Amino acid sequence: MKLIRTRREKLVFEISLPERRLLFEVLKLHPLISATHYRLSKTARSAKHDENQRLLEESLAAQRQENRKNVRAMLNEAGRFQAAASGFQLTLSGPEIEWLLQVLNDVRVGSWIALGAPDPEQGKKTTFDEKTVPHFRAMELAGAFETVFLDALSGHAPG
Amino acid sequence: MATTATPEIQPGIHRDEEPDSRTDLEPGYRVICWNDPVNLMDYVTHVFQVVFGWQRQKAEVHMLQLHNQGKSVLTRESMEKAEFYVHQLQKYSLHATMERD
Repeated sequence: MKLIRTRREKLVFEISLPERRLLFEVLKLHPLISATHYRLSKTARSAKHDENQRLLEESLAAQRQENRKNVRAMLNEAGRFQAAASGFQLTLSGPEIEWLLQVLNDVRVGSWIALGAPDPEQGKKTTFDEKTVPHFRAMELAGAFETVFLDALSGHAPG
Repeated sequence: MATTATPEIQPGIHRDEEPDSRTDLEPGYRVICWNDPVNLMDYVTHVFQVVFGWQRQKAEVHMLQLHNQGKSVLTRESMEKAEFYVHQLQKYSLHATMERD
């Protein structure tokens, strides 16, 4: 998958059939992170904080639902992937790439959490087995697609 | 030589009788991003640029601080604005919290 051109503030990507299958596979995993995973504060303890924490969780849940709706619409939208000689052309606006990045990083971080939040630099490793390999796969695929979109946004089309 | 006494309150200068108090409107909350090693460095830089409207260079400084020191204090804000920024960062699945100064 690579950026081939920009057109009227939209970015046009070339994506092969196998790449599109992998992109769909990753997007369908969203959402992976629970809305209750993140805390507003590590130290605050008060009734007001608890209420603010609840509001944050509600807001994150609503935002994930909106992103999920966007994913479904994209996967089902006729003409979103235009047939081309090398596979397809996918046209995305800047805001669409932003929510795609949110979705992809939800899958990446959610897969990492499912693996036990490994951190090789801190000696916290995980093993490869039939249970963990799907999480590794999702984490790496999400990261690969993130890189394509980030390179496109920064004006450097990957080769 | 004789001196004239300086008036305690200069003309035109208003002295606030209310004592200073810390309120939720004061920038007494640090917005902190914590390092999750799974996040791509370019991704973190991009999110800082989008959420705070920073130039890439400033965003990279904070990304590197996060990467090397495990956390970065991104801004100091009122409670309401700090909550807003934490929410924006968490939308991108970055590990952010707000802590009282």
